Order: sequence, then structure tokens, then C-alpha cells
Amino acid sequence: MLDAASYFEQVKQALPGDVEARAQALHKAEALGLPTRRLEHWHYTDLARLLKKPTQENAALVATDFSALNPSEVRFEGGVMQASDDAGLADWPALSLTGAEDASDAMVLYNQALAQAGVVLELPEGGQKTLLVTTQGSAPQHLSHHTSLARGAELILIDDNMASGYSNVAWDIELAEDSKLTFVHLQQAGRQVATSTVRLAENATLTRLNLLSGQDIARHAGTIALQAAGARAELHSAILGTDAAHNDVTYVIDHQAADTQSNTTSYHALAGQARGVFQGKVIVQRDAQRVDAQMQARAMMLSDGPEMDAKPELEIYADDVQCAHGTAIGEIDADALFFLRTRGLDEATARQFLITGFIEQVLDACDHEPLVASLRAHIETKIATVLGQGSAS
Amino acid sequence: MSSLLEINNLQASVGDKPILKGLSLSIQPGEVHAIMGPNGSGKSTLSYVLSGKDGYDIGGGSMHLDGQDLADMEPEERAIAGMFLAFQYPLEIPGVTNMTFLKASLNAVRRGRGEDEIDAAQFLRLAREKARALGVDDEMLKRPLNVGFSGGEKKRNEILQMAVLEPRLAILDETDSGLDIDALKTVAEGVNALRAPERGMLLITHYQRLLDFVKPDVVHVMANGRIVKSGGPELALELEASGYADYIDEAVHA
Ligand SMILES: Nc1ncnc2c1ncn2[C@@H]1O[C@H](COP(=O)(O)OP(=O)(O)OP(=O)(O)O)[C@@H](O)[C@H]1O
Ligand SMILES: [Mg+2]
Repeated sequence: MLDAASYFEQVKQALPGDVEARAQALHKAEALGLPTRRLEHWHYTDLARLLKKPTQENAALVATDFSALNPSEVRFEGGVMQASDDAGLADWPALSLTGAEDASDAMVLYNQALAQAGVVLELPEGGQKTLLVTTQGSAPQHLSHHTSLARGAELILIDDNMASGYSNVAWDIELAEDSKLTFVHLQQAGRQVATSTVRLAENATLTRLNLLSGQDIARHAGTIALQAAGARAELHSAILGTDAAHNDVTYVIDHQAADTQSNTTSYHALAGQARGVFQGKVIVQRDAQRVDAQMQARAMMLSDGPEMDAKPELEIYADDVQCAHGTAIGEIDADALFFLRTRGLDEATARQFLITGFIEQVLDACDHEPLVASLRAHIETKIATVLGQGSAS
Repeated sequence: MSSLLEINNLQASVGDKPILKGLSLSIQPGEVHAIMGPNGSGKSTLSYVLSGKDGYDIGGGSMHLDGQDLADMEPEERAIAGMFLAFQYPLEIPGVTNMTFLKASLNAVRRGRGEDEIDAAQFLRLAREKARALGVDDEMLKRPLNVGFSGGEKKRNEILQMAVLEPRLAILDETDSGLDIDALKTVAEGVNALRAPERGMLLITHYQRLLDFVKPDVVHVMANGRIVKSGGPELALELEASGYADYIDEAVHA
């Protein structure tokens, strides 16, 4: 990845689509260079520097059992689709779905230049589906996914990332009237830059859950455009950062229409020398009255080593709105710990309870019982695996 | 030593502020004791020191539960030994359901006591039965521990934990405050149901009302970090009528 140009030369013959357009995207990306902290949007994630660090080993990966949801499945390895189990996907038309001209983010441009495969899912009116996308392997991958939900369609989309190498993943999502997307993103390994764009029409609902627990690099940037009345976004992230992990969740939530809602939370539990970042910008456009936008960033520092940067922002141009944001960074609550110990739990178990409880708040907004149960089991196993041996602090 | 709880000349301070100033108290198996006393006299501090909370310097004296010296025991070891504290201000623990917590707690205590762990089905039956008796409904059992519970619900939940853990000594720190009349009766019934020849109880309260329902064997007056008077149930009635004025003076000038 560090030398994208020669990588491009190597793989370009195999890349589908318009090679010339890809070369142009690459040219623009190279002109911008890898993001550094000079860019507002990347202020706490100096990717150019971070990618020079040696790749981190990952603590035991925990396979998540989604079988109760009975999903269709698509698997990617090294940026190539390996198997698709009747997922009803359309052909992957590469660049034709994205507007390379608009992109000003080098990572999006790199993705456009190098993406080799991706999911294209167009769910028809009233359609219902559960799709599990998994990534594996250690080779670099560039994936460009496109999803659209027609009126009233409902999709549960799970992007489960276990790949251990570098990956650059982009999701472009369109939600029509009354459609409903629950979008879960798990990352347990590797160094990943994920960029998503979601546009919501009237009464569309997005519930986005990010669960990040890798030891290397995760950068999750999302742009959410609430374009018509009744559109609602629930954006919740939980991060378990240990060792030298770097986890960045960055959202721009653009309330373009009146009567739209967003609720954004992040829960970082940080140990070792981990770094946690939350940036969230809520924009309420001029005529977007009666918008309700809430944003909360919380962090639990499990030792003296980690660092948390939280920057929630409001940019409000309408006058009749309900917007609030807050940040709370603290240690494990000593009184809560004492309370649990008076009930017989040893200190390590009591801590694990409090950390699990803190992280599992990420599930509060999700009302899909089987999904919540799968994710809860994932969180509990992961915390027990990573923190159980006392290795994390 | 046959006392269930034996406290001798206990002194405890926070920083350089002495709070318990030579407190002595002993509870025999089967007895229910009540402690009354003005705000700030050190009642909650006593309950915390007995349960093993950090942050207190024990300057002198001793405390034994069933002959075991509590001083060097961790809070969880004390719980396993049979100590239980119903908190004056129960804590909210987001994300951990009441049920998950109760089961983990019961099994931790059982393991510690060398008993077998209880399986999920058995536990469910046990928890439901005890919860019903205390007016804690199934929905409350599924909710995160105390989060969004009303004051009275939190107190009832403390008593539920006591009923599940079956301690040797239960300290109830103002469990009656904030309860409506019906809830007070329910809680008192829960407490009475746990009265047993081998179990002791220490009720910290400001009101006679609770003691009408749970009749104490001994009533103590605590002021300025010590027990300044002990007597029978009639002492509580006397306090209700005449307040603490006499005892405060006595404690300060002693
Ligand atoms: N951590 C602490 N730091 C400083 N002072 C403390 C601390 N804990 C308790 N105190 C003080 O010790 C005294 C006793 O407090 P405690 O809470 O034990 O009283 P109490 O008898 O339970 O009162 P109440 O009837 O109001 O519940 C009070 O003056 C209180 O301010
Ligand atoms: Mg008190």
C-alpha cells in the first residue's frame, strides 16, 4: 500500500472497469498523499505515520455466530470475492457507481483506483434480507460496496472483518422511503480504513453499530445525509482498544431536512498504550427545523497508558432544533467496583463486568433480538479473551 | 468467641478526619440490632468499613465476623464469609442485567463457600420465586441493574440480592428511606422472612416505622462515631419522641 503506484502497475491488468479512470483517481490520490494530521478530518489519525508502524499481532480472533439470523453470505479474501451463497448480488460495475470527480479524500480515491471487488446489492421494494460479508486473509484488499434499499425494504448487513492485513473499504448506501437498514461493522484485526456514505430518504432508518477490537489500526469514517423528513440515524460505536491499537471513529451527520433525527454514541474502553478517537460533526442546515440530534462520546480508561481524543461538534443553521453533545472520559467507577465486590465478585471479574456493561450499551438502540444476542455473545467472549488474562494492562 | 459480629473499639478515618472513634458492638446469632443516630454520625461509614471499602484508615480496634478477622479481607472475601450490605444509595450498573448479575454473584459466593454452582434453570426458578415475594417483576430482572429504577425499586432490589445470597450478617443502611407504605411492608416481610437462628441483622434507620414491622432485639444510638447508648425496642420510641439532643451533647463532651 505504501507504494500504491507500483502496486497499481502490478494489478491493473486484472482490475475490472475503466483502467484510465482508475489511473486518474490514483493520480489525484498520489497528489494528495496519505492523510496526515494537517487535515481537519484526520486530525487525530496521522495515517501516513501510522502505516509505517510494523503490523501488530492480533489477540485471538473470536468467530461470531450469526447462524440464528440465517444470513446469506459473501466472503472476500485478498480483495477478491471467494464465495457467495445465493446472496442475490448484482454484477460489480466498479467505478461506474461512484463519482471519482467529487472525491477529495485520498483514501476514497485510492479505493476507486484499486478496488477489485465488492458487494452490489439492490433490494427491491418491500424486500427483506440479512447479508453477512466477511473478509479474511492477510493480503491487501480494496473493496468497494454498493447497496440500495427501495421503498420499505429492510436489510440487516453485517460486515465482519477478520482480515489481518491492510484494507481500504468503501460503502455507498442509498436508503429510499420507509426503508430500514441495520448495518453492523465488526473489525477484530488488521489495519483498515473504512469510509461509508449513507443517504436517507423520507422515514428511512439507519441503525449503525461499529464494534472495533483489533490491536492495529481502525479508521471508520461515515457521512450520513438525512435528506427528508422522518429520516433517522442511530450511530453507535464500541471500541475495545488494547496494546498499541489505534481506533478512530469519525462521523459527519448532515441534517439536510426538517424533522430528521440522529443519535450518536461511542464507547471506548482503552488499555495498554491504545489510542481512541471520536470525532462527530452534526450539521443542521438552514431550513432543517425541529431536528433532534444527540451525540455522546464516552471513554473508560483502564490504565494510565491509553489516550482518548473526543471532539463532538455542532454546526447549526436552523433555529428550532434540539441538539446536544457531551463527552465523558473517566476510569472504572470505584464505587461500582466496590458494590460488585460486596456481592462476591472478585476484582478482575467485577472489572470485566463493568467493562462489558459499558461496551454493551452500544446495543441499546438495536431491537433485533437475535442480532443483539449474537453481538452480546461476541462482546463477552472478546472481552474475556482479551482482558481475562490480565494481559491488557 | 461466639458472637456473630464483634466490633471492639474500632477507629476509622478518611484522610485526617476521624469518623469512627472507638466503636464497640456485638451481635449474637439470631439477633436483629438497629442503629439510629443523627446525620453524619458515621453509620454508613461503619457499614462501609465492615464491608471492606477502600479509602478508610483503620487506626485501631478490631472487627470479627464469626471469629474471622475482617481487617485484612477483601470485600469479596467478606461476602463469601457471609457479610452483606444493602446500600443506602444503590448503584446503577449500565449494561449488566439484574439477572446476569444475580447469577454471577450467587455463583461466586457459592464457589467461595465450596458449594456447587447453580445451573441456569435452577437459578431462574430461584430468582423468580424470590423476586415475586418482593414484588420485583420479571421485566425488572431483565433490565440493566438499577438503571432507571425508582428509589423504592432499587431498595427492593437490594433486598432481593440479600434473599438470593443468604448472608450470615446483613447490614441494611436506610433501606426503609424512600419506600412508600406498601413497599415498606413488602421489604419488611422480606427481611422478616430471612430472620433465622444463625443469621444476624443490623438495621440502620432514622424511623420507628421500619421497627414496627421488623422488631429489633437491641437498639443502639450512634453519635459522633461511637455507640453512646444501647437498649431494647423502647429506646427507639423514646428517640422518636425526644430526638438526639441528649446524646449529641454526651458524645461531644465524652
Ligand atoms: N470519604 C469521605 N471523606 C470525607 N468525609 C467523609 C467521607 N465519608 C464520610 N465522611 C464524613 O463522615 C461523617 C459520617 O458520614 P456517614 O455517611 O457515615 O454518616 P451517616 O451517619 O451515615 O449519615 P446519614 O444519616 O446522613 O446517612 C460525615 O460528616 C461525612 O461528611
Ligand atoms: Mg448514611
